[in-house]
Parts: sequence; C-alpha cells; structure tokens
Amino acid sequence: MKWMQFLTPAKSLDYQETEAYIAEHPSDSITLLDVRQPSEYQESHIPGAVLIPLPELTDRLGELDPEKPTLVY
Amino acid sequence: MLAGKGFKQVFNVSGGIKAWKSKTAIGPQDLGMALFNGKEAPLDILKTAYSLEQGLRDFYLTLEKTEGNPKAKDLFIKLSDIEVKHQRSIFTAYNRISLLDISQEEFEKQVESSALEGGLTTREYLDLFKPDLNSEKQVVSLAMSIEAQALDMYQRVSAGISNPESKAIVLKIADEEKAHLASLGKLMDSL
Repeated sequence: MKWMQFLTPAKSLDYQETEAYIAEHPSDSITLLDVRQPSEYQESHIPGAVLIPLPELTDRLGELDPEKPTLVY
Repeated sequence: MLAGKGFKQVFNVSGGIKAWKSKTAIGPQDLGMALFNGKEAPLDILKTAYSLEQGLRDFYLTLEKTEGNPKAKDLFIKLSDIEVKHQRSIFTAYNRISLLDISQEEFEKQVESSALEGGLTTREYLDLFKPDLNSEKQVVSLAMSIEAQALDMYQRVSAGISNPESKAIVLKIADEEKAHLASLGKLMDSL
C-alpha cells in the first residue's frame, strides 16, 4: 500500500493566494488542473486550466509534469 | 492522490471555481485550437497571433464608432491602442526571428484575421457577454473576459506545440496576456 497518498497533505490556497500564485509564476512553470466534468469546465474554468475529470485522473497522470507545482480544483 | 504519485507540490484551490472571483474562461478544451495545428514554425505562430490581435483591435474600433458615450469611446480607443502595442511587439519578433527587415504594412498583408483573441468571433463575444457598451465598467469587463479567453487559449495551445521555439513564443504571448489582464483589473478598480 502506498501510504504516501494518505499521509501527504496538500496545502490549500484560497482564492487570493491562488490568484497571486498564478500571477507570480510564468505560465509554463505551473499546472492548473481542473478535475470536474467536461460540461462544468465548458461553462467556466480558470484560464489556462487543464481538464482531466477525476474519474480519468489515475489513467491520465502521465499527461502531467509531477515536477511542476500543481494547483487542483 | 497526486502527492502519493510523486507530484512534488500539490495545492488544493479551496472553494474551487465557486470561490474564484477573477475572470474565467469558457468553452471546451479545443476551443480556438483550430487556429493552430501544433506543427507551426515560429513565424507562422507569430502571424496567427498578430491576426488575432488585429481582430480584437478592429472589434474595439468598430464599437468605438457605434457608441455615443464619449467616455466609452475613449476607452475603446485606449483598448485598441493596447492591441496596437501587442501587434508591434509581435511584428518586431517576426523581423528578429526571420532576419528580414520588412515593413509592418508588408507583414500585415501576409496575415488574415478571422477570429479575435481567444478564438471566438466578434458576434460570439457580444452574444455571450451582452455588455452595456455605454458602461465603462462593462466595457472593461468585456475586455477582461476576452483577455482571459486569450490567455486560456494560448496556454492550451502551448501544450500541443512540438517546436520548442514556437512553444516559447506562445508562452511569452500568454504571459503578456496575463499581464494585460492584471492591468485591466487595475483599470477596473480605478473606475
């Protein structure tokens, strides 16, 4: 069992912290990950967000760069 | 889940999209992607980007002509001037990379404008946001929506580009759109 996935906490950023984080980092240095459904993404998403719906996430992790800070919503 | 899969830094955006108060983008992941096939050389990327800026500039100038409110008119001129600066910067990059020394007029003949920044047409933007064009705040809000859409499109496009130099150009334009969005936010706060 990979205990890391249960024990490693993800820090939370509120709206203002997220906005500041995005502003401070070049576009290519972070990943904004939208894990909602495509219809929700289509209606509204944070500019630059990559869509990988939660049910597909484990199968599509290879599309993301684990070295980059990843902001998930 | 991500942290356990080797992702170095994972942040949860608390409140998700509902808590997000800045501009959002709309549309599916492939919106505007038809403008780029992912295999363009750097010069082709610059031509497409230039045409998108041109489309937006024309859009603001058309609105300026149709509106009667002097403050809104001034704002449209200001917004179109910003696009002129973006175009100038793209044109300068074109001459630098191509090692040509053509005039901006000659360069413009090589580009076609069909959509605005963000991949939507003028009518689509107006239908979507239905702004009161006499309201300065709504005009700036419309401009911010377009910039957010453009930022979103360039970032999505960059992921599909294989040529490193082309990719760098698209990312640089995306960062410029991000800065433009921030400056429009300040303009909004001043109104």
